[in-house]
Amino acid sequence: MRALLAKELLDLARNRVALVPVALVTAVSIVVPLIVIVTVPAMTGRSLAEGSGLADAARLLGIATTLSDEALTQLFLFQQFLLLFLVTPITGAMSLAAHAVVGEKQARTLEPLLATPITTLELLVAKVLGALIPTLAISVGGLALYLAGIAAFGEPGVFAQMFSARTILLIVVLGPAAALVSLQAAIVISSRVNDPRTAQQFGVLIILPLTAVFVAQFTGSWWLSTSWLLVTGLGLLLAWVFLVLFSVALFERETILTRWR
Amino acid sequence: MIVASGLTRQFGTRTAVDDVTFDVRRGEIVALLGPNGAGKTTTLRMLAGLIAPTRGTVTIDGVQLTRATGGKLRGRIGFLTESPGLWDRLSVRQNLRIYARIYGLADPERPIDAALDTFDLTPHADARAAELSRGMRQKVALARALLHQPAILLLDEPTSGLDPEITRGVRRLLEERRAAGASILLSTHNLDEAERLADRVAVLQGGLLALDCPAALRQRLTTGRLLVRVAGDPAAHLDAVRRIAAAAAVDGPHLVIPLERLEQQTPAIVTALVASGAEVLEVRPEIPALEEVYLRLVNEP
Repeated sequence: MRALLAKELLDLARNRVALVPVALVTAVSIVVPLIVIVTVPAMTGRSLAEGSGLADAARLLGIATTLSDEALTQLFLFQQFLLLFLVTPITGAMSLAAHAVVGEKQARTLEPLLATPITTLELLVAKVLGALIPTLAISVGGLALYLAGIAAFGEPGVFAQMFSARTILLIVVLGPAAALVSLQAAIVISSRVNDPRTAQQFGVLIILPLTAVFVAQFTGSWWLSTSWLLVTGLGLLLAWVFLVLFSVALFERETILTRWR
Repeated sequence: MIVASGLTRQFGTRTAVDDVTFDVRRGEIVALLGPNGAGKTTTLRMLAGLIAPTRGTVTIDGVQLTRATGGKLRGRIGFLTESPGLWDRLSVRQNLRIYARIYGLADPERPIDAALDTFDLTPHADARAAELSRGMRQKVALARALLHQPAILLLDEPTSGLDPEITRGVRRLLEERRAAGASILLSTHNLDEAERLADRVAVLQGGLLALDCPAALRQRLTTGRLLVRVAGDPAAHLDAVRRIAAAAAVDGPHLVIPLERLEQQTPAIVTALVASGAEVLEVRPEIPALEEVYLRLVNEP
């Protein structure tokens, strides 16, 4: 599997343009929150906390109650926008994952590969990791810039409070788990359709539940607490294992080789 | 050694390969011949464990090819697909290195260097596969199939797209692999190549029409001719010849004598002619090409 993963990474290194969408989504995830939370209030001269009630909401949720209203509002918003970094690896890597199997077939590189001792499991997991690793790396880099932006432009105390258990779980567990699930689903689709565009169109549907979580966070209808994050993260990892087995069962070498053109 | 027994493959209602039984022994090259759509690629794919037969079995070195044994057995097979199937963005060396690692070669650089050298690819080792000509790509694909020194070689049109010099090199290489004990099954449309290279030829058209060495097939299915030029009128000696070969005829300055066992019967013909007072100027055997055997087999109702 490592050999195939190395191939995926080498291939991507030679085709860096494929990573431009990931970089763009990451850039938007960094810039938009800073504009909304720092630049707009500075330009309009209006405080974020003023009349928004977000500081009270944050206190109700138990977020860093010792901070000033303005800092607390900033912290609340910066944490909400953090969810964008969950979407980044998924949206960016979707095209790579969607193209994974059907792309190999179209390039006629799949048949010699299937004639080797490599197993279907190794092939499919290598494809997922090949899409995930580079996009996750870009996402982590983007996150570092996001945090640097908060350190540079946020209210005093906000940066330090970003490093909560919730944030770490969100970044270390939920983000990669959600990406694994969505990319594995894209791989399943990629091995069942004979056109990369179809695979990508199906893959985009995975964004919908994440958007729902994002909206729920902002409206306060569902708060992703640390325990929720743990449960969701573990649930996603289990879902990934199930999807891997499902994708192996659904992978029909014969159909791919003999019917796809 | 490969043994295909009663191999049948249906795609829906269409039978691509029908009850094919043959073997490829150690140190043997068998050429798979047949028109387009005859089932050659399907047969090779079944032997490589890429698709399962509807009926029948494949046994490789005594082990039956199944889903459970497929992975291990594929490690012993070198498979050249119809299309080279290279990763275009990777270099030639990188393409080979990935496969060397998949096959678990302990010191991959050594066989890679050897393969590059064998196929005169060393100057192109760092070129991207996309930049290569069709022939070059085919050479890389061949190098890839031979990289792990497989005991079984399944080659789908190995010299397709190669220039004559490289084709000769590939033939030499396959002969070397045969001498090293490999079982080689190759499909080809090039009958001359089959004749030069193969110990036996299998003619496929859905089912197996014939399997034998080219000389035996020729003897079984076609008749050779002996062309004899004599001084004077050849018709004067026709009766003497017809006592051995009743179908003998005159064609211009030649006596044309169809013979079933050309080599064995030629001395008797010459003796008969000399006995009848003919001054023999030229004796020329005409052996039918494998092409004639092939066309006869595939066109027979």
